[in-house]
Amino acid sequence: MARFLVLQLARLGDLVQTRRLLAGLNAKAAAAGGGEVHLAVDCSLAGLAARLYPFAQIHGLPAHGAAGLDAGAAASQARAVLGELAALAFDRVYTLNFSPLGMAIAAMFPPEVQRGYRQFAGQTDKDTLLRLVFRIARDRRGSGLNLADIWAHLDDEPLAPAQVNPEAAPRGGGLGVALAGRAARRSLPPEILAPIVRTVFRRSGVTRLVLLGTAGQAGEARALVRKLDPAVAASCVDATGKTDLFGLCEAVAGLDRLLTPDTGAMHLAAYYGVPVTAFFLSSAWCHETGPYGLGHEVWQATLPCSPCLESAPCERGHVCRLPFADPGFLRALAGSAKAILPPGLARFATDCDALGAACRLVGGEDASAPDRQAFRAFAARRLVGADGDGTDLARERELAERLYLETDWILPPPGRPLRGEG
Amino acid sequence: MAGKTTLRVLVVLPMYGGSLPVGRYCASALAQLGHVVEIFEAPEFYGAFEALKTLRVTSDRLEYLENSFLQVISQAICAKVETFGPDLVLALAQAPLSRQALKRLRRDGVKTAMWFVEDFRLFTYWQAFAPYYDVFAVIQKDPFPDRLAAVGQPNALYLPMAADPAVHRPLELSAVERRTYGAEVSFMGAGYPNRRAAFAQLLDFGLGIFGSDWDGDAALAGRVRFSGRRITTEEAVRIFNAATINLNLHSSISARECVPAGDFVNPRTFELAMCGAFQLVSDRTYLPELFADDELARFGSMEALREKLAYFLAHPEERADYAARARARALAEHTYAHRMERLLAFVAERFPEWPGGREEEQAALAGLPQPLRDETAQLLRDLSLPADVTFPDLIAAVRGRQGRLTPLETSLLFLDEWQRQYGG
Repeated sequence: MARFLVLQLARLGDLVQTRRLLAGLNAKAAAAGGGEVHLAVDCSLAGLAARLYPFAQIHGLPAHGAAGLDAGAAASQARAVLGELAALAFDRVYTLNFSPLGMAIAAMFPPEVQRGYRQFAGQTDKDTLLRLVFRIARDRRGSGLNLADIWAHLDDEPLAPAQVNPEAAPRGGGLGVALAGRAARRSLPPEILAPIVRTVFRRSGVTRLVLLGTAGQAGEARALVRKLDPAVAASCVDATGKTDLFGLCEAVAGLDRLLTPDTGAMHLAAYYGVPVTAFFLSSAWCHETGPYGLGHEVWQATLPCSPCLESAPCERGHVCRLPFADPGFLRALAGSAKAILPPGLARFATDCDALGAACRLVGGEDASAPDRQAFRAFAARRLVGADGDGTDLARERELAERLYLETDWILPPPGRPLRGEG
Repeated sequence: MAGKTTLRVLVVLPMYGGSLPVGRYCASALAQLGHVVEIFEAPEFYGAFEALKTLRVTSDRLEYLENSFLQVISQAICAKVETFGPDLVLALAQAPLSRQALKRLRRDGVKTAMWFVEDFRLFTYWQAFAPYYDVFAVIQKDPFPDRLAAVGQPNALYLPMAADPAVHRPLELSAVERRTYGAEVSFMGAGYPNRRAAFAQLLDFGLGIFGSDWDGDAALAGRVRFSGRRITTEEAVRIFNAATINLNLHSSISARECVPAGDFVNPRTFELAMCGAFQLVSDRTYLPELFADDELARFGSMEALREKLAYFLAHPEERADYAARARARALAEHTYAHRMERLLAFVAERFPEWPGGREEEQAALAGLPQPLRDETAQLLRDLSLPADVTFPDLIAAVRGRQGRLTPLETSLLFLDEWQRQYGG
């Protein structure tokens, strides 16, 4: 019997983006005649994880440092869960987060079963794929590999990308607006957001508008409503701070469309096959964390400084917000074929290829597209053994020269047992 | 050239892995062909390389140290090249030669060859390294050579795997050895997913599994021999010889297809044939050109495998006939010596001036007084060197001898040093 453990200790969005890996492992276990998929998450997400992944056995760990929980209590709580996990013999343990907590837990398992971020005998390390991903991150514009696919490819046989999430289709519950994610800079202020909401509301032909967010975003919701047309505002239900995670799932799953920046709610919508209209700006880059699956659209800021570093202060006055206030953008959003998008903004439709999720340009300019195309061909060869027919091999060679190191060449191929007899 | 000249070849082994024994077979074959061979023993450095993982430093620092360590090993190879002065550096897949070292060897006019005994689709890093070798020998055909040309490597040579008749040979086994190493249907190799899935369907045969990475499979646990430990080459040859039928199922990291489609032929095919052991081998695109239909029995599906197992278990004479024909073909065409001859001929073909930069040297024996000459002639035979080998090549071979030197060998080294110091 196959038994797998996935350690996903990050937030809501990451948990939802783990679907390709988890569903793939579940399919693999079924193909092997039965097995178990275990998932360790922060306690606050355990209930949601059980709902999203009913086939998995969920283990809650105090990873997020909940209010009122002291270190001693956290250690005692962790001890009990880790005792349960240690009693099980896992064929593979996937540690998905580059966090000391995750790698500390990985140390409990034998090195040969560890995948992803790892630790053995006090030494932290990461799989060759993740080493490559760190190198890729030096040129985010010219690369682009969805986070969900990076995690999925830690396994040798990931699930087919098109099987991860249902194709997007309206579900009848109106238009949802997710107000902000954890990174506020990735969101639009009410004065820019309001015309966008109005435009999408009218274009969608729906009669219900739902504002989604935490209690901390209630003020933002009120500011948005004040800026909406009276007719639109009258259709508005302000649900900020009124839904727990289950409630959020219920609310999102029934929508006709979700308007959102890069948020956990966006990934939930993709999970349920609810069409997403997303705007990606600041450090958000749709080729890395865009909605997974077919039928979504992303408006991506493509200024020379996009995507920026979340941790670095913006010294350009948040110029990546400006294209979203441009009348050309609003006309395009309304569906006008003649609309001219402002510079620094591109429209993408989500798709899947052999490698995973892909965003295809359908409007505006995307100067990094040729680089990204070459990169994906290169990555497809590395990850799915694509033959590379029709690809620019000279360009691939340049990428290989830049991204591969001696350690890649001198260590054995992935999946090959050390000192194997072949 | 290559047929006449004694060459100096430095064989660079990988630190570990499946291509390590292949490197040793190559070195042995080159010596057997009369060339002076030195081996860069990269496995000796593996312990230190692994020790980096015990440092308990950040993962970024570990990666940096690993790459730096490999640069040091590369420098050691360059130093070895300076001293030994090889005509060719032959590296096996995963040999620790950095791009920087390869550039330096090219600048210094030292020819380099890689025998890339890996699947190019699975192991894609060749894109970054292949252009730095002068010759790139591979185990796959189209489209790989075209791909290599596109990244700047025009000298691709198709060089299938082989076997070493001195190692892979028929054995007379005792009854005890037959019990220890034998099985009605025997498999020797690692527990790849497709093999696990396939063998679970063969439990009604007298299946014996030898090799590592089979743990965690309850259905097969009772069939795994020697507690699933790693099998040495010597043991593998006994296992091949002791089996009624050797099952040779090519590996795949996917369990979706038990009998995977593929092009290149694994080393085990040649090794079993060379042992004169009967095998049932999974179909491969290149197999028909390497062995005829009446030399190797093949299967392309699990149904065909079961059918042929039943048939050949019941027909021992046919098994013996197949095995004898396969061994004859292997001896005639598929030894590592054949492969090395082909490789050297290819280097000479692509680089007509090779090996260049050699001064005309007198044959070693001509410069020696009697009775030293007769004694040295015997030494040349022991070293598999031709009678007209040059004095520097003889000295290089003597320096490569392991352990304490004989008085004759020491006298030759003394003579070499004396000539350097005083001339003559």
